[in-house]
Amino acid sequence: MKRLLAVLFCILTLPVFASEHAGIPAKEEAFNPGEMILHHIGDSHEWHWFSTDNGHFTSYLPIIAYRPGKGVSTFSSEKLAPKHGEAEGAEYDGLKLHHEKLVTTDGSPVYDFSITKNVAALLGSSILLLVVFTIVAKGYKTNHGRAPKGIQSFFEVLIVFIRDEVAKKSIGPKYERYMPYLLTVFFFIWFNNLLGLTPGAANLTGNIAITLTMAVLTLIITLASSNKNYWAHIFATPGVPVALLPIMIPVELIGIVVKPFSLMIRLFANITAGHIVILSFISLIFIFRSAAVAPISLAFGLFINVLELLVSILQAYIFTLLTAMYIGGAVEEHHDADYQMGGGDGADVAHAPHH
Amino acid sequence: MAAAPDSPPPGSDRLRTFAKYSGIAFQMLAIIGLSTWLGLWLDGHYHTKTPWFTIGLMLLGVFAALYQTIRSLTKES
Repeated sequence: MKRLLAVLFCILTLPVFASEHAGIPAKEEAFNPGEMILHHIGDSHEWHWFSTDNGHFTSYLPIIAYRPGKGVSTFSSEKLAPKHGEAEGAEYDGLKLHHEKLVTTDGSPVYDFSITKNVAALLGSSILLLVVFTIVAKGYKTNHGRAPKGIQSFFEVLIVFIRDEVAKKSIGPKYERYMPYLLTVFFFIWFNNLLGLTPGAANLTGNIAITLTMAVLTLIITLASSNKNYWAHIFATPGVPVALLPIMIPVELIGIVVKPFSLMIRLFANITAGHIVILSFISLIFIFRSAAVAPISLAFGLFINVLELLVSILQAYIFTLLTAMYIGGAVEEHHDADYQMGGGDGADVAHAPHH
Repeated sequence: MAAAPDSPPPGSDRLRTFAKYSGIAFQMLAIIGLSTWLGLWLDGHYHTKTPWFTIGLMLLGVFAALYQTIRSLTKES
């Protein structure tokens, strides 16, 4: 038990050590929790794993910069890292990092296509997802007609859950076309939420660009699969007098954009908030400069960390479910409830035989 | 077997309902937030003396949020 606690202590406090800046003597500089937390949940041009008393363990990632007129330049981000004892990053080839933003020294425009920490994590988790689900798919080929085996039996439950409880109920008889997207979204968010909780990893789903991309994909798929009923509800809402339509149409049009927008904000806010809370609890030790605070902040930190494990699958589920509902609203036909699928929660009751 | 309309929905349906209604809450927030932001941006862009864009779009946002909420709540009944 004691050993377990010691291990947990080491793991939970890793993010704090990892965030101490290179070359700054920690004792003279006042501990700034806000800066530490924002640095930790943000993106960066190098992958800082952790630091010890006598060194930092950092992987330097490639920088790919495009400047109009000068073309593409590619080099390691080690060249822009702060020199020993300096707070500001170094300059290289007319480029420097200003608060993790790539800028030119003369102020001319530069477009940053670097493999940042988040991009590297995205590539890594995509490979992981591909490997895991290739194994699962292969399992269905080799175990055809038999019970699932190994990792396949773990994921089958979730895949069937997404199909039966999310896709069939929300989309209706046309659910099969959308299964690849729904499953990808669910497992992508879940895997990356979990990976984001591991020490030293990137905070991918807490990055608004990632959630924006997924929300835009949902919007495109919803619009591309919409039928005439969907647009009829927007431009001629049933039961609304014609005189009110000029007000109703903009309100309905706002609704189209706001639905994916709320998906983007929700995932980003939930994951970011979770990370900030955990880091804040651990920062308490360093703010009070006392080991006596450690048991309390550690207990709370561990509690939130375990809660985040639940949040990571819950947020993946909610994103997938709401995506399915928005798609369902776009492909809905009037007679869908007859298939005992889709048509909302009231469908079963409406068609139940009367006793 | 169909559940009686009044009884609470079982397991996964409860989670589903939770997700759905929390989604509506987030939509309200997003509508009001987006329209307010647009109003502030328009007022800044046109240098209006009285922030009519902000006021108007904020009120429109509140109205739109209420309308969306009522519509999504009554749609299924």
